Amino acid sequence: MNAFDLTEDQHDCLQELINVAMGQASDQLARYLDTFVYLKVPSIEQVKAEHLFDTLNNDLKATAVVSQGFFGYEGIRGEALLMYQPQDSNRLADLLGYEADELTFDEQIIDLSSILTTTFLNVFASQIDNQMSYSAPRLLSSSLDKINQHLKQQSFNWDFALKVRISYQVTDYSFNCDMVLLIPEEAITNIKTVIDRILADF
Amino acid sequence: MSTNVLICDDSNLARKQVLRSLPESLSTDVQLAKDGQEALEILRRQSIDILFLDLTMPIIDGLGVLQALKDEGIQLPVFVISADVQPEMQSRVLGLGAKAFLRKPIALDTLNEHLRNHGFL
Repeated sequence: MNAFDLTEDQHDCLQELINVAMGQASDQLARYLDTFVYLKVPSIEQVKAEHLFDTLNNDLKATAVVSQGFFGYEGIRGEALLMYQPQDSNRLADLLGYEADELTFDEQIIDLSSILTTTFLNVFASQIDNQMSYSAPRLLSSSLDKINQHLKQQSFNWDFALKVRISYQVTDYSFNCDMVLLIPEEAITNIKTVIDRILADF
Repeated sequence: MSTNVLICDDSNLARKQVLRSLPESLSTDVQLAKDGQEALEILRRQSIDILFLDLTMPIIDGLGVLQALKDEGIQLPVFVISADVQPEMQSRVLGLGAKAFLRKPIALDTLNEHLRNHGFL
């Protein structure tokens, strides 16, 4: 068992923290798109750094990846990637209904991703008595090299990735988006400490 | 006579959170279900006085449970406790006959207020 493995109870606790965070992020998404969003149970997967690119490779038919750094207290920090599949970003374009004189699609998808990421992480953080600040969101080219390069420029070494597959079904449209949280080792250790504190209360 | 309580949530932690928040008068006879299907099996088999219901769950979700209760004519007070806080979801849930919508994580004073409003306290 390595430092990143969660026990069944820890996983259940993390899943519930994520459910609550996702619920509020979806509420923001619904308001932004002025529609109703149907939620499914998100799937959580832990990926070790050296395997991330193997799994990303399969996913990287993605046309859009929006990256945003987050920084909390007690060394809880990381980088959030929101990844959209090509067919989904086309649907998103329809859904956002962008027009030439308004924001570009790129600007809209950055906005949308930032709303999801910051709401999600704010609610997640508040549940563990933490508070986050964020770097500016960036739209990355979907080429693996570019993403790799971007991640290498980060000021921390991340060892652990938490992949949360979030599926939003929006009335006539449905799209999936993967949120990948890249978290350095000391941060995941801190998160586990917090989870154990919550579990100890029960 | 004790009140028969059923708590339905796919998260063990969430079930415990509800259980721990219940006033003493409601915590003597509590059953737990980890998805909508388990809850419906219990609800078809025996009389339950109050159901605490999550929405986002595998197999049969909370809306599915509310719809089944309606279709099968099973009547009981249902308190929905969910992280899905969209206003439209709240009105759907209340439209399907739920007594109250409480947002996660559950707040003790809000829970007690709703219990009081519906004569459980």
